[in-house]
Amino acid sequence: MKKILVWDLPVRLGHWLMAGGFALAWATGDSESWRLVHVFAGSTVMAVAAYRLLWGLVGSRYARFAEFVRGPRQAVAYLKSLLRARPPHYAGHNPAAGWAIVLLLALALASGASGWLTYQEIGGEWLEELHEFLTGLMLAVVGVHLLGVLVGSLAHRENLVWAMVTGRKLGEPAEAIRGQRLVAAFMLLLWTAVGAWWLAR
Amino acid sequence: MKQVLLVLSLASGLAAAASPQELGAAYAAEAARQAPGFQPSARRGAEFYARRFAVSEKMPACSACHTESPLQPGRHAVTGKAIKPLAPRAEAARFSDPAKVEKWFRRNCTEVVGRACSAAEKADFILFASAAL
Repeated sequence: MKKILVWDLPVRLGHWLMAGGFALAWATGDSESWRLVHVFAGSTVMAVAAYRLLWGLVGSRYARFAEFVRGPRQAVAYLKSLLRARPPHYAGHNPAAGWAIVLLLALALASGASGWLTYQEIGGEWLEELHEFLTGLMLAVVGVHLLGVLVGSLAHRENLVWAMVTGRKLGEPAEAIRGQRLVAAFMLLLWTAVGAWWLAR
Repeated sequence: MKQVLLVLSLASGLAAAASPQELGAAYAAEAARQAPGFQPSARRGAEFYARRFAVSEKMPACSACHTESPLQPGRHAVTGKAIKPLAPRAEAARFSDPAKVEKWFRRNCTEVVGRACSAAEKADFILFASAAL
């Protein structure tokens, strides 16, 4: 196996925008002086998550939901295989990671929506409670995701964090995606900037 | 730890809903355990409310968002959003939910005062806000 291009630019940019936005939103959530930053960071996470839904349908091979969303039985089977000497290797997301992505996207949208409604003073105080519960849950899934990245990196002797930076992972040359999808990456930045600005007004 | 004990004592002493009097009494009882003979004071509460802690640039005092009087609607110093009056006389739901009261004391004391507020300060504050005419 060689290093091949697996993650296109919208996937990588979206990933780090979401990670950065979530970290910033989490760090500023309890502060009134940082309230505008919190709202903008949360809005960024929401805008990126929304774009990712579309990209999961029309993106490059490994960005598509159809490529990595598998049943719970396959996810459990993969997790069990990690205990063995040579777990099966996936060029794209493994079945357990697929679940983390779906959960994180769903939580990003639900948490973002409840936070946005709270900020706009639409709905009652229960939305604020829901927002806090959902972000706590999201932090827990982020923790599991990070643990999965660590275990996966060790099991496959492959730096998965760096792979999300360069887009390159181990795989057969024939499995590589062909381009970085520069136009879609530019559209993501534009969409996120306009979307976050609109939501955070 | 003290905060946890206080929350527990508040949660056990009061149901989910409470009156400002009950909530103030619970804080006063906690303060009396720390300093025997403690009596809440609306005057001390008023002084605390108006004091410039100057820890936060945009929110140097309670009044930065809540105005000079707890009877008046306030305005968020950062977002500009409207804030309902603090006084139960003007906004009946104030100081009726112990968890919410603890949450906002925790947040606002940390940012505006620069530390956690004591049970004595909270008892004084609630008495001041409740007594506001």
